[in-house]
Amino acid sequence: MGLLTNLRDSISRVTDGLFAADEPKRIGIYGPPNAGKTTLANRIARDWTGDAVGPESHIPHETRRARRKENVEIERNGRKVTIDIVDTPGVTTKVDYKEFLDHDMEKDDAVRRSREATEGVAEAMHWLREDVDGVIYVLDSTTDPFTQVNTMLIGIIESQDLPALILANKTDLEGSDVQQIANAFPQHETIPLSALEGDNMDEVYTKIAEYFG
Amino acid sequence: MPHQCTSCGRTFPDGSKEMLSGCPDCGGNKFQFKPAGATEDTTAGATDQADPPSGDAGPSGSAAEGRSRTPPTPDDRSASTPEESGTDRRPTEPADATPSDASASADASAESDGTEQIADRSDEDTAQASARSEVVSPDELDRASRDIEPAETPPAEEEPEPGIDALRDELNDQFESIRIVSPGQYELNLMELYDRQEYIISLQEDGRYVIEMPDAWGIQDE
Repeated sequence: MGLLTNLRDSISRVTDGLFAADEPKRIGIYGPPNAGKTTLANRIARDWTGDAVGPESHIPHETRRARRKENVEIERNGRKVTIDIVDTPGVTTKVDYKEFLDHDMEKDDAVRRSREATEGVAEAMHWLREDVDGVIYVLDSTTDPFTQVNTMLIGIIESQDLPALILANKTDLEGSDVQQIANAFPQHETIPLSALEGDNMDEVYTKIAEYFG
Repeated sequence: MPHQCTSCGRTFPDGSKEMLSGCPDCGGNKFQFKPAGATEDTTAGATDQADPPSGDAGPSGSAAEGRSRTPPTPDDRSASTPEESGTDRRPTEPADATPSDASASADASAESDGTEQIADRSDEDTAQASARSEVVSPDELDRASRDIEPAETPPAEEEPEPGIDALRDELNDQFESIRIVSPGQYELNLMELYDRQEYIISLQEDGRYVIEMPDAWGIQDE
């Protein structure tokens, strides 16, 4: 009996190990709203798979808000790294439908959108706890990074010991200040980029391979 | 302030009708009764009638209650209230028993047109008497608070009031992960969202939300 149990255990350990090695790491793209997360997700997906991160969801639990692109193979220095990219809704502590009214939206639509955004934040926070193996934290380098949300999220990521890459996005914009972001999170490496223009994506991919490979 | 709303802490004088349809501030419908011994605030109704005659202030809680409903005599009151405190028989008592030594003005109202007024009041008194005699048990309070927690966010206190803010913050810290300020306006407690096991799937306008319990994870998570 004991022999059998041992045997079964060791077999399952081996198979587990095999699958674990095969399974791509799931990398969450996190950050405050409007930092350029989706632009980045789409760029990565387009560069390496030809698709954008579509509106269709492959995510369990029928969440239509976070979007995942699976099996993105990134090749760096002759080495392949496979990751799943999860583009998450922007994390914030307040959602107000009035923000959406500025964008030519009816009140009903704005209220619904606001509710979905709130659900999205809840979802993003839950994923951070349960479902990601690493984080790409995207910040808009034209805005002040010292916010409650950023501090809290980076803190959570650190407490989870998740590998985290901090990206200072929107370097194409006037007023971009990469150094300010580097100063805010000196314990992490900060990579500047413009996801929109595709500037400095080479370095981003190198770092992704390095951090999450 | 014998009555206090258990959700926002607002207090109501004895005999207040405001609270009969729920707390005007937060809509709460659970109140605790604070005996007069605990707080010395007397109510409008009580002071009007009870100030002139003295000497019967002794039997604290029941005497204070007695005052509000039995206008005339100190003697009768001190005799009748101690055994009967909390029952609804009391309001009828003065009609039979009293008019002896009553002080002038109170007398008139109690006797002549008094029956109707007393009848009116006795309706109100029945409710109050039961509110007084039945103390909310700790169990019930406990149950009430548990209901709120998993099933729905606490009633969205819509009108901000300075006194409530501190309490609200405290509540937020305790358990609230998403607060509905008004439809379409939300405040999120990120740490709480991160910490909680269950996953909030969808919010509804009435303040309820749907969660997925941890047990269901294995099933749906292929």
